[in-house]
Amino acid sequence: MLEYRLPYQDGLGFTNILLTALGGDGANMAAKLLFKIAVEALNLDGGYDAKYGSEKTGTPTDVSIRLCLYGTPVRESGPTRRPHMLSVFRETLVLTQNLVAGLQADATVMVNTTKGPSEIRELLRLPSGKILTLDATRIATETQSRLNMPMLAVLAHQLGFPGEIVKEAIGKQWPRAKEANLAAFEMAVGRARSERFEPHPEYPLVEPARVSSPVGYANMLNGGAIDAFSNISIPERGAPPLGRVPVFAAEHCSHCGLCLVPCPDPGAIVYCKGCMQCV
Amino acid sequence: MLDQQTIISSGNEAAAHAIIDIGYDGEGYYPITPSSEVGEYVNRAYAQGEIDLSFVVGTSELAAISTVAGMAIAGGRAVDVTSSQGLLLKAEELPALAGLGLPVVLNLATRDVNAPLNIKNGHSDLAATLGWGWVTLCAPTVQAVYDLNIIALKIAEAVNLPALVAYDGFHTSHANRRIKVFTDRRAVREFIGPEPPRRLSLLDVKHPHTFGPYMNDDLINTKVLIDQKMEKALKLLPRIFEEYAQLSGRRYQFLEVYGAPDAQVALFILNSAAEASKVAVDRLRQEGRSVKLVSPTVLRPWPADTILQTLFSVDRILVAERVSQYGANNYLANEVGAVLQRSADHNLILSRTYGIGGLNFYPEDAEYLFRLALNFPNVPDHEKRWKGYYQAWAGDRDARPVAKTAPISSAEVTRNAGKDRVDLRELADMPHRIEKHSACPGCGLFSNLEMFLRGIDGQVVFFFNTGCGMLVTTGFPSTSFRVPYFHNLFHNATSTATGAIEMYQRLRRQGKMDDEITFIVVTGDGGDDIGMDQVIGAALRNDPMIVLEYDNKGYMNTGGQLCYTGLLGQRFTNANVGPKQKGKLQHHKDIVEILRGTHAPYLFQAAESNFRDLLMKARKAQKMVREGDFVFGRFFSPCPLNWGSDPRMGFRIVDKFAPVTEAIQQEVDRRWRRLVEMDANPAL
Ligand SMILES: Cc1ncc(C[n+]2csc(CCOP(=O)(O)OP(=O)(O)O)c2C)c(N)n1
Ligand code: SF4
Repeated sequence: MLEYRLPYQDGLGFTNILLTALGGDGANMAAKLLFKIAVEALNLDGGYDAKYGSEKTGTPTDVSIRLCLYGTPVRESGPTRRPHMLSVFRETLVLTQNLVAGLQADATVMVNTTKGPSEIRELLRLPSGKILTLDATRIATETQSRLNMPMLAVLAHQLGFPGEIVKEAIGKQWPRAKEANLAAFEMAVGRARSERFEPHPEYPLVEPARVSSPVGYANMLNGGAIDAFSNISIPERGAPPLGRVPVFAAEHCSHCGLCLVPCPDPGAIVYCKGCMQCV
Repeated sequence: MLDQQTIISSGNEAAAHAIIDIGYDGEGYYPITPSSEVGEYVNRAYAQGEIDLSFVVGTSELAAISTVAGMAIAGGRAVDVTSSQGLLLKAEELPALAGLGLPVVLNLATRDVNAPLNIKNGHSDLAATLGWGWVTLCAPTVQAVYDLNIIALKIAEAVNLPALVAYDGFHTSHANRRIKVFTDRRAVREFIGPEPPRRLSLLDVKHPHTFGPYMNDDLINTKVLIDQKMEKALKLLPRIFEEYAQLSGRRYQFLEVYGAPDAQVALFILNSAAEASKVAVDRLRQEGRSVKLVSPTVLRPWPADTILQTLFSVDRILVAERVSQYGANNYLANEVGAVLQRSADHNLILSRTYGIGGLNFYPEDAEYLFRLALNFPNVPDHEKRWKGYYQAWAGDRDARPVAKTAPISSAEVTRNAGKDRVDLRELADMPHRIEKHSACPGCGLFSNLEMFLRGIDGQVVFFFNTGCGMLVTTGFPSTSFRVPYFHNLFHNATSTATGAIEMYQRLRRQGKMDDEITFIVVTGDGGDDIGMDQVIGAALRNDPMIVLEYDNKGYMNTGGQLCYTGLLGQRFTNANVGPKQKGKLQHHKDIVEILRGTHAPYLFQAAESNFRDLLMKARKAQKMVREGDFVFGRFFSPCPLNWGSDPRMGFRIVDKFAPVTEAIQQEVDRRWRRLVEMDANPAL
């Protein structure tokens, strides 16, 4: 077995990693592969736990990986509450998810974005640590690989997993997409921009979030009913979670109504998921 | 000790691995999250030719467990898996299996039983089984899921009772861990016994027996038998645990006890939360606190003596349960209390409900509960109670909801109605009855439904079965429905609609209801497998509702399992393609033909790819229900996620790219010729 040192250890001996992504991004597969390498090549222990709702393409999801030396009891399950390392597959998640909650000091954060590390630090309000940014979407497109490849590459690199072993595992896992995946893998590590951030009084450490919401047992409607007037999910203008969306050019519209036919998303004029069926 | 190998496995995979190693003769199966994967892994091994077993996908959980009963009464070793509502649907059969003395094994990936629907962990399914005569083992870790599955069959066959292995849904079923499994399957077979012990069999024609007779006064004696078998299991289990420890190096006991043997305070808690609690025990003991954790591995038979020995000198016991017995003390708190009344000591028992609906339970949470017991009664006021909820929240009492939308007036949604020509322009401005949802991009469900609804004027009330349609629209506290909506579990929408329609008609007759309403039931094709009887019932009664089935050729919400609508050769997560199995083995179910036998007045099929036709059918459907008739319509509905298709293709997949194999085409042609003949000969 190879000599290997965990990059972080909490009081129980664990490095905690959180991958946050959208359904369909392949975060689960990335976690699976990393854990396989950790066990089989590095004789580590730990686990990975996927948050499984019923993931539809494009809805937020996450996977937690815990790594420890073999022999350490593995007792926690479910998502990690205090990640040392955070891999963000989509920039929108920085804005929509409370990712900084529970994040440890001196964390390592990897984000798929076109922005630079300092901009991400502000958006994320990272207390301290290292931010790596990379345009993983672009790398995936250029190499005809998948988004999880560049994200996996950077995480494996930050974990200090030996590159050759990781590449071999990727080749074995997806034999048919080997070339594309390895190209994405190589490209990612080289293209990531990295910067360290010292603690900053404006960005304190944030405790892990407790599950809570404005609606509880004191004010819930009988039987958990939902009031359609106040709680309707009206489409709001926002960045599409995935890929491309068609541009609506009002001046060219002949008002034939045909685009309505295939459109599965009411209100798509303001909120479009980019299935591209109407074009 | 036997040779073992390290694998990475989830709890569900571990159960499947044990099923495969045991070499069961059969599995009855019906998918439900979070246990569905167990059957998927088993079927994959079967399709690959790694194992030989009968794998039967039922039309419901009840069908699946009944198939298992059939396998067992014919002398086979049979296994099943389920969760939550699935368990309850089996409920009719579960006490019967104990009464009949059939040693089958059921894996239960626990999930709360509820409405409003939640698919996460909770032990209300497990709690329901406690009096049903099943040997019940609790597996707190992925490793234990594997081990206890093997032990379960051994004890079941030793006493002729069914056995249940319960592990936490998601927390264990979906936790991936490094575990050990036996290298050689034959060793597992050897441990269990290569053949099941001899018992009476239905297939013994040389010496016939009558099984499941009608019994009057004698019934009470069968109950005595079950209890005697439980007592026998209590005696045998330590020996079986020991034997297993010799083989595996892993020792199980009635109770897992962790911490100070003579502790003053104990936390009594089941499964994965017990694991997390060990961390809290370590922390508190470092502080010099005298605490321990007690977690039963064997729940039935209830190891009362061992529990008494372990707890009688403990001053305070906090029994934390992932379930609540409303208006009464909780299940295990009662049972612990009943054991302790045998001791002279006056132990204090606190009862807390935690973790329902999948709320995670971390070491910090265990620490909180320990401290609560340590400090009781010097605790905050809201904790000064014997029974309580941990992790529930009150909400913001002062919050005043702001209206974001107003009711849709009938005039707004009455457009282009009753006209012969469909005018899309006129329909374009019609308000949406269903707003933003989180279906996958390119999902056919809502394109069909949206288009259909444009052909429906006036007020609408929806009933949805469980499936993608309900899941992506009503994530609490938001809803996509601007009009009234009711989801009443997986397969009950048609009967539920019948009830509401009866009341509606009553109010109309009494002159208390002005609004004219069209009642629409939306179901997946799976909902019409498990709920087929209820659809047929509504059709036979000719209840005035429109039932819409979106046929995406699978159980998509739960990850793409086989639905009877699936095409010959179609691959599903539980009908795999390999040397031994080529996907689905039969041709697709024809729901419209099934319903034809009800002589329902209007049955149709449509797809949004032919939208004018679809809209005209919507108008006809509404006209029919207004005249008091039942209508059933089936939409062909692409599922890009589980079909693995490009969402952009959408309905074009239907027109051009569907790889229709010859065999399917022949079957479709055959069915079509039959229809043509019927059309030409009205007497048919
Ligand atoms: C009694 C019961 N059994 C099983 C389930 C799990 N379950 C929920 S949705 C679903 C599949 C639904 O399939 P379908 O009706 O085709 O709708 P789709 O998922 O394709 O939208 C299953 C198996 C359940 N909720 N209740
Ligand atoms: S899984 Fe399939 S049916 Fe369900 S929302 Fe996604 S595309 Fe639609």
